[in-house]
Amino acid sequence: MRIGILTGGGDVPGLNPCIKAVVNRVAHEGHEVIGLRRGWAALLEHDPDDPASAEKWFLPLGPNVVRTIDRTGGTFLHTSRTNPSRVRPKGVPAHLAHRIDGDGPFDFTDHALRVIESLGIDVLIPIGGDDTLSYGLRMHDEGVPVIAIPKTMDNDVHGTDYCIGFSTAVTRGVQFIHNLRTSTGSHERIAVVELFGRYSGETCLITAYLAGVDRAVISEVPFDIDKLGRLLIEDKHSNPSNYAMVTVSEGATLAGGEMVLSGEEDAYGHRKLGGIGELTSALIKERTGEDIIYQQLGYLMRSGSPDSLDLMVATNYAVMAADLALEGATGRMVALRSGTYTSVPISATREGVRRVDTDELYDVDQYQPKVRHVAGKPMFLY
Amino acid sequence: MVIGVLTAGGDCPGLNAVIRAVVSRATVTHDMEVVGIQNGWDGLMDDHVRPLDRNDVRGILQRGGTILGTSRRDPYVHGDGYASVRRTIESNGIDAVIVIGGDGTLRTALALQEEGLSVVGVPKTIDNDIAGTDLTFGFDTAVSIATEALDRISTTAESHNRIMVVEVMGRTKGWIATYAGIAAGVDAILVPERETDLEEVAATIRTRHRHGHTYSIVVVAEGCESPGGQAVSAGIDAFGFERLGGVGYAFGAELERLTGFETRVTVLGHLQRGGTPTAFDRVLATRFGVAAVDLAAAGRFGEMAALRGADVVGVPLAEACAEVRGVDPALLDVAQTFFG
Repeated sequence: MRIGILTGGGDVPGLNPCIKAVVNRVAHEGHEVIGLRRGWAALLEHDPDDPASAEKWFLPLGPNVVRTIDRTGGTFLHTSRTNPSRVRPKGVPAHLAHRIDGDGPFDFTDHALRVIESLGIDVLIPIGGDDTLSYGLRMHDEGVPVIAIPKTMDNDVHGTDYCIGFSTAVTRGVQFIHNLRTSTGSHERIAVVELFGRYSGETCLITAYLAGVDRAVISEVPFDIDKLGRLLIEDKHSNPSNYAMVTVSEGATLAGGEMVLSGEEDAYGHRKLGGIGELTSALIKERTGEDIIYQQLGYLMRSGSPDSLDLMVATNYAVMAADLALEGATGRMVALRSGTYTSVPISATREGVRRVDTDELYDVDQYQPKVRHVAGKPMFLY
Repeated sequence: MVIGVLTAGGDCPGLNAVIRAVVSRATVTHDMEVVGIQNGWDGLMDDHVRPLDRNDVRGILQRGGTILGTSRRDPYVHGDGYASVRRTIESNGIDAVIVIGGDGTLRTALALQEEGLSVVGVPKTIDNDIAGTDLTFGFDTAVSIATEALDRISTTAESHNRIMVVEVMGRTKGWIATYAGIAAGVDAILVPERETDLEEVAATIRTRHRHGHTYSIVVVAEGCESPGGQAVSAGIDAFGFERLGGVGYAFGAELERLTGFETRVTVLGHLQRGGTPTAFDRVLATRFGVAAVDLAAAGRFGEMAALRGADVVGVPLAEACAEVRGVDPALLDVAQTFFG
């Protein structure tokens, strides 16, 4: 059996240990793994008629190749946001250029299927978030045996309580917020900390909950800037060190406003986010007269090595995915449900993204985490 | 003898270690009394002081921030110099003040010294750009944080085949950029000390690409002039506010334009100056605090504690205030060896 593995979308801590564990498990059973480079781009860019292109886009993986990869962050297979079913004209590789007609976007899924066949890939294991896995689902729908592994810092893939990368992101977020406290307190300011989280504010909410910041504004609930300013002034005055902190999801919106976006749409229809933290800082300063420390955590949250929880989940997801592949149980996504490792039909990802249950976990009036009924909840509360 | 101690200017890891060293050295070794002046020069102008003994400084060695608080007010800008602090000095019987601060604060201390106040300085800045001392405490912590961030971001840059521009602190000089850049093995270091030729940086990155290294890390000191020498502003956002982001965004956009490679920018900002000091900074801060008290005990006012080679010595405050110290060109040459 030959298993193809790839990583797509943003990198998170734990991808390399995940790849390594798949390879070791599969090799142990006497089967082969081939790495697809740069996510789905490998299936688009590879030209089966050009033998040289295989070397560029595919990498045979054995235990010796992956022996040391788990010691560094990122993904050694590299990643991309390429979606072979939505390719813009400038993203069309030369060997497919003759098929362009019009402005696109173009669907080259037939080519991707031909590449899979030419390489003799029996099972495909994509590691990714909702965008990457949405194309995994497309492959599944086209008849390719697929086993998906969910990863994303936002922890927002439907069908699983947990995605690789979330724990490390929160760990880093809490650590950075505590580091910012001394500067914010020494200068008696208000700190605005922007965290990743496009549609789901879970990273922001859980980080705020665990770091004990005063307020958190999340993607799910548009916020009133005047009220936020008032609350922060109250927080600052009631703090013996005379400072206050608020975390902001990058996808948060002002009441009556829209997401702050920039640049062009990518292949999954998303534009770059960024700017709500700066905007919030400027508006709070304008309203309160207080000096602001603004800090975007951005890439610092998801770069580098995984914490032990992400290492645990990445490794176990890998072993489970390899087992499913060896059993021929494809069309599944490995998952955690109610604290138990399991798998769900890959079609579960069709539901879109998971969002914070604001009734259960968020005080929409006070802009704070509100955690009450813990018994019966999953480890990360939703 | 009664010693007053104050911290002024920006937060810097190691401030509490200095305060602890001052209190312990003064009370244990020299049998002096110490009073803590609250919120920098504010406390000296408004008479906010409190006695400090060893119990007040237990357990603060490893804590970031300053237990005395800090401010950016200044007796010469917001008052009339010595006259505006005289009341606090006299009513508390303060014989000398140990001033922990950056170059602006030390200049104020020197001016007060010239008006008759007895002052000993302790240089403080994460930027490491104060003249007269080889190193300042807080710098090693900032470099460590920046290096760790660069290490992590390298793996993300490699995964995504991107250029990552990382803006680090350094308002006038590029010490943190140079040290962290060498430590992390980056592909270009942009500092105010050397004029930046972005075409050259772009060429280096293109060469890396041709050789199969399809990602690059560029470190920029926040004090660099932006490409083309325009004011440091990353433009106006959709709501008409000037972006708070610094010069890193301008360099990132320009590098993306010149190379055609996808580029992302990270501003480390305040993350570099908060948190717990490294072991090196705790030791240096402790030695500075001890030396400052010893200088006061010896009547060597108008001096500041400084590291010269391996020794902590006293140097005239005037020397520290004479210039802002940039990175040694030889060190920049060392860094350049490894670009690309």
